Amino acid sequence: MRFVLKTHYGQDVDLFKHSGQRFWYAALAIMVGLAPWIMDDFYLGELSLVFIYAIAGIGLMLLVGYTGLVSLGHAAFLAIGAYSHAYLLGHGVPFPVALAAATLFSAVIGAIVGLPALRMIGIYLAVATLAFAIIVEQVLSHWESVTGGYRGMPVPEAELFGLSLMGSQTFYYLCLALLVASLLAALNLLRGPTGRSFIAIRDSEISASSMGIHLARTKSRAFAISAGFTGLAGGLFAHKLGYLAPDAFTLLTSIQLLLMVVVGGLGSLHGVIFGAIFIGLLPQAIAFLRDTLPPAAAQIPGLEPGIFGLILVLFLIYEPLGIYGRWRKIRLFFDEFPLYRSATYRRQKSYLRTERVR
Amino acid sequence: MTERLFQAENLSVSFGGIRAVQDLSFSVEQGEIFSIIGPNGAGKTTVFNLISRLYDLDRGRMIFEGDDISGLAPHQIAERGIARTFQNTELFERETVLNNLLIGRHIHRSTRLLDEFLFLPGVRRQELEFRKRVEDVIDLLDLQPYREQIIGNLPYGVRKMVEVARALCMEPKLLLLDEPSSGLNPEETEDLSYWLEDINEDLGITVIMVEHDMNLVARASHRVLALADGLALAVGAPSEIQNHPDVLRAYLGD
Ligand SMILES: Nc1ncnc2c1ncn2[C@@H]1O[C@H](COP(=O)(O)OP(=O)(O)O)[C@@H](O)[C@H]1O
Ligand SMILES: [Mg+2]
Repeated sequence: MRFVLKTHYGQDVDLFKHSGQRFWYAALAIMVGLAPWIMDDFYLGELSLVFIYAIAGIGLMLLVGYTGLVSLGHAAFLAIGAYSHAYLLGHGVPFPVALAAATLFSAVIGAIVGLPALRMIGIYLAVATLAFAIIVEQVLSHWESVTGGYRGMPVPEAELFGLSLMGSQTFYYLCLALLVASLLAALNLLRGPTGRSFIAIRDSEISASSMGIHLARTKSRAFAISAGFTGLAGGLFAHKLGYLAPDAFTLLTSIQLLLMVVVGGLGSLHGVIFGAIFIGLLPQAIAFLRDTLPPAAAQIPGLEPGIFGLILVLFLIYEPLGIYGRWRKIRLFFDEFPLYRSATYRRQKSYLRTERVR
Repeated sequence: MTERLFQAENLSVSFGGIRAVQDLSFSVEQGEIFSIIGPNGAGKTTVFNLISRLYDLDRGRMIFEGDDISGLAPHQIAERGIARTFQNTELFERETVLNNLLIGRHIHRSTRLLDEFLFLPGVRRQELEFRKRVEDVIDLLDLQPYREQIIGNLPYGVRKMVEVARALCMEPKLLLLDEPSSGLNPEETEDLSYWLEDINEDLGITVIMVEHDMNLVARASHRVLALADGLALAVGAPSEIQNHPDVLRAYLGD
């Protein structure tokens, strides 16, 4: 078992709680830092894609996992980030400025979408965000002068100080750096007042408002921040795609993003990473499945969304804490060995909550 | 001379046909422990929900520190310095006791979003300052063993005290406690009465308490308001109220 001796409150505020953690994160950093020397271009590209998903996942996790607001329309923010970034690049705006502007623009749209969503909860919010995503898809398809309509638009090459960023190694490091920055920003947010106010809203709105948390403002903030991260991911995603068309940002994409945070484990940033790896590998797994299944079964239309949906439901039923939850249980087992109690994580019947005030 | 901290004037609210609170007036002096008693369904919790602006008044108004607060939003009530607990507890279930208490410091934050993203030194300083305040409250209410525990795993009695602690972390001027002793064992109730004294005398917090335990009410409170069916029956010293004919009738259901 591990005991952490705490000698000052700063330790609880710090990002790394003990030297063991520091060691493992350093090891991980060296590994991903050296990956370009070990992996070939294909896998490097896949890993960059995982990083991009993870950035989007951070955004969605803050909203769903920490604020408790569901979104079925996050593909829209991915699209807004991708299109606005590509549009700005195409008009001669330098790469970093275009990416920052795309992020901010997505955040602003997020805040605006958040406004009507503030009075809705659960399924109603899910439907509203879905409707928003459909509207965005329609706009992308029909606003030809800007988006190129159904034909789509090419994404200009990214360059910085005259150097191309599109080489698979450079792009890998770019995605990695932005992922690390996003993770740090999210972690910082979560250990401060704003992150706690998100969590408060997730667990009890009436209680949150009685603690002085402005529900509407905080929720719209959560939407804006969430959309901002997802928009940033969208900007990188644009380069990954190379050519933008509305069919890259459909309901399926939104579900895939949601799948990532649910499968990874709601309410944890580790979960985002696990989830991103998972949905990064999923297409390969499905392709493999198509090859091995008898042709009749492999040709079933809607096989892919069907599998996504099935996985989502299975996780919600059997492992609501996601892959990260499973990992924590395994780790606790070894930490506490041989004293582990299998009931540690069993869900307890919670006491009555205030019935009248809802 | 004592000062008037809170005043309710002709509060009325009904739900469908039920007149939950009718034409209720009372006032609370600075530094007082003011108890509200009454049978189940008398409208006690409703009074708290009116004060914390979770419910809208049909008629009447509420004055706090000389200002009309009847039109404020719930979070503004908290910012004014009114904190509360809930009858069946409303904690942030999936968080630790520590984080619950830190959320109680929300109204005292002074950092901006951008600073928090970067966790600038000011944010760290604020976190450490919050933590010190939270630890003071933990010491006051003897919650040390539970600091790192998730609320969902705690027994009911502890949750009740965590909720009081969270309200204290707000450093309120007025504290509303809804049946603080329900679900506590006799020993915990005994502790509660001492803590109430500390909260009131040492911290100087005015308390309005809804409570069923007449022993606790008699011991702790300066004045008592008896309610039945949304109507005020009587206000006065605990001993007066306990023997008041109308109050006895309401309880015994004459
Ligand atoms: N939100 C609500 N909707 C409908 N009826 C309510 C609501 N809140 C309270 N009531 C009714 O008002 C009356 C007083 O309730 P309450 O204030 O909770 O009583 P208590 O004195 O036991 O705390 C009860 O009849 C209750 O059913
Ligand atoms: Mg009640």
